[in-house]
Amino acid sequence: MSENMKSILSLLLFPGGLAVMAAGMVYEFIDRKLVARFQNRVGPRWFQPLADFIKLLAKEEVIPEGIHPVLFQWLPVVAMAGALTSALYVPMFGLEPAFHFTGDLVVTIYLLSILTLCTGLAGANVANRFSIIGATRTLTQLFSYEAPFLLALFGPAIAAGSWDIAVIEQYATIHPWLMFLQPVGFLVALIGLMGKLELPPFDAPEAETEIVSGALTEYSGRGYALFRLGRNVELVIGLTLVAAFYMGGVANPFLFIAKTIGLLLVVAALQSLFARLRIDQTVGLWWRSGAVLVLLQLLVLIVLKYFGVAI
Amino acid sequence: MPETKHSDKFIVPIGPQHPALKEPGHFEFTVDGETVTGASVRLGFVHRGIEKATEERTYIQDLYLLERICGICSHVHAMAFALGVEKLAGVTVPERAQAIRVLVAEMERIHSHLLWLGVAAHEAGFDTLFMYAWRDREKVMDLLEQLCGNRVNYSINVLGGVKEDVNDTIREGILNAMDYLETRTDLYLKLVTTERTLIGRTRGIGIMEKQTAARLGTVGPTARASGLERDIRIEAPYAAYMQYPARIVIENTGDLEARFVVRVKELYESFRLIRSILSTLPAGELTTKMPRRIPEGETISRVEAPRGELFYYIKSNGSDKPDRVKVRTPSINNFASVMATAVGHKLADIPMILSGIDPCFSCNDRMVSIRGAEGRQGVDWEGLRRYGIEYYR
Amino acid sequence: MKIGSLIGDIIKSFFRKPATILYPVERIHAPERYRGQLFWEPEKCSGCQLCVKDCPSDAIELIVLDKVNKRFVMRYDKDKCTYCAQCVASCRFACLNMNSEQWELASLRKEPFTVYYGKDEDVSFLLAERAAIGHLHSTE
Repeated sequence: MSENMKSILSLLLFPGGLAVMAAGMVYEFIDRKLVARFQNRVGPRWFQPLADFIKLLAKEEVIPEGIHPVLFQWLPVVAMAGALTSALYVPMFGLEPAFHFTGDLVVTIYLLSILTLCTGLAGANVANRFSIIGATRTLTQLFSYEAPFLLALFGPAIAAGSWDIAVIEQYATIHPWLMFLQPVGFLVALIGLMGKLELPPFDAPEAETEIVSGALTEYSGRGYALFRLGRNVELVIGLTLVAAFYMGGVANPFLFIAKTIGLLLVVAALQSLFARLRIDQTVGLWWRSGAVLVLLQLLVLIVLKYFGVAI
Repeated sequence: MPETKHSDKFIVPIGPQHPALKEPGHFEFTVDGETVTGASVRLGFVHRGIEKATEERTYIQDLYLLERICGICSHVHAMAFALGVEKLAGVTVPERAQAIRVLVAEMERIHSHLLWLGVAAHEAGFDTLFMYAWRDREKVMDLLEQLCGNRVNYSINVLGGVKEDVNDTIREGILNAMDYLETRTDLYLKLVTTERTLIGRTRGIGIMEKQTAARLGTVGPTARASGLERDIRIEAPYAAYMQYPARIVIENTGDLEARFVVRVKELYESFRLIRSILSTLPAGELTTKMPRRIPEGETISRVEAPRGELFYYIKSNGSDKPDRVKVRTPSINNFASVMATAVGHKLADIPMILSGIDPCFSCNDRMVSIRGAEGRQGVDWEGLRRYGIEYYR
Repeated sequence: MKIGSLIGDIIKSFFRKPATILYPVERIHAPERYRGQLFWEPEKCSGCQLCVKDCPSDAIELIVLDKVNKRFVMRYDKDKCTYCAQCVASCRFACLNMNSEQWELASLRKEPFTVYYGKDEDVSFLLAERAAIGHLHSTE
């Protein structure tokens, strides 16, 4: 198969594109069902995220006045594109990543942040008070968790001595679970994932009871469907990354499913346990506790690596 | 278009349609970044003309109309009205009926406080507590359905007594539920006072001093959380509260956490009262004969609704229809406290402060007559009608 | 200060049956005092009309066909009724009661909401009379 053909198929069908979108919907269902069961409720049925998606596509897109129309229409698409592209470098479904090169860890994390950036821009674009406040909070939260999350993912990279996700994953498979060797990094990565996805308790940017729906208040129909689907895709990719680095790699589809769903169980439990943190409390938490802890962890790792201790 | 750079005139409207409010009301908060610098309120969206409607209906029909002012505190409205009319008619209601009225009122207090706990937790983003509190509330609703016949708008009051009696199955059901709810309330008290994320949203937020609370005329748990000792059940006991006295629950810090704690501790008081009523329920009739035409006179009747002091003024003119019924609900008093304490807080605290007073907008809307410098400014029926037609033209 | 104090509860809830009742697949019985639809027995009625006077929403009307022979028909509007049971309390002869089983009263058309209670011959007599008057009006 020619290189171009392979690129297009992996971007559109597998492992990017349709496959990861479908996986995103399945994971959203599992997350919502778990949270519901923790709250002693029934929860949605298996086709609920798909039904939501189809319903949103069928809705009329209302374009508010006083905005930049091109930005309004294209920001959801760019967000989705970023999320889907990052699936190419991650060991999705337990298989080899479709492409890999040295440094793709940084590129992937950057691609994952495109969604948040687009959400913030979308909110700032609209002349609605709630959207502007939501956009401010989204970008503030982006600044606060991004650095610790990045550094937490760098821990295994330093241990493996490479910036290539495939190589790091290989390293994680043959060594004991890095979750136990670098517990701080694991904790920060997991909670950073919750911050990135704006899951409770870090959902101040889209606090339903304070600012309606945050940055995406004015979106309905296609744009909203794409943003939501982008978030689901990020959920899968984020879980895969954390599981691949800290839980001993995802060598085959069965391990992939088991580990990511196990991680999702923990994430769902953490979602139901806490009240929402205010945005200034979030920033305080991350920059005081999160960043400091993960920097200490990195320092320890670097020192150990320098002295040639095998970790 | 809002100016963003250096002005502090960025106004965030909360309501009339907003997920933070369960009922319509309009608040405008002037924010600067995330800090609130000014607040104003506008109410009146749920005005239904109930006070006028009471003049067209007989006392018996009014009982059911007034019950529907509010869904959460419907029994105390009916009880206040019934107590007032019975006072005017000079009728003594049998003791068993008064005790059953108090029993239902305390059960209503439990259900209202659990509802509030869930809603306040939801405003804080703590959906799990919301679901648990409402699941426990279902127990109380089921009991009320067994005793009175309906989950909301219980309609157990008649002028002169109550309609239904307490039998042994119901008594047992209630006592079992009280035990279950007491264990759950222990958990809620522990959560409200020690859960770190919840405390981060409630401790030190919305502090209201005792003098401010007294000056603004706050009532109910909002006042009791600031150290103000106001409870009609103790100051002016009515119905069966002479035989079953209530104990007051006071906290002195005046912040949101105190309001949470006061309401959760009041749940314990209600459990105690219900157990004591059920163990010594006086024997007797359920109703007494009540005349249809109430003799001329006027009276006031005050009861302690779950939100504070509920005040009824009833004026009769000798016929079977009241001349004037005036209702003053507790939430009206407490709104001023939101305006006074909101300045200086973050925008994210505003829904919490708002829900801390337990607002019940449906109870609220009454016509106010403003006595300005030029004398009374009043609007008559025709003027009001014309105003409404012109406004929407 | 603790954090995550609800962890015991959420684990327990995970293994417990959800607290939701899947109506209409599952049904629970309403308690016996539940105020469902109103029913009237004409045998004991004396025609005092106290129930009609006391209804807050004019949901019942007692149509007098023959006062001396106690032939009455009651017209009951299910949609106007507020299910307060004041009529039940006002009636001194216990002719009225609210059924606790009939509470699923939704309908897609307006006609099922008006019911006539009474002895069969009285009800059919009344309905025939009303139909004749209606027919008379419609042909004018």
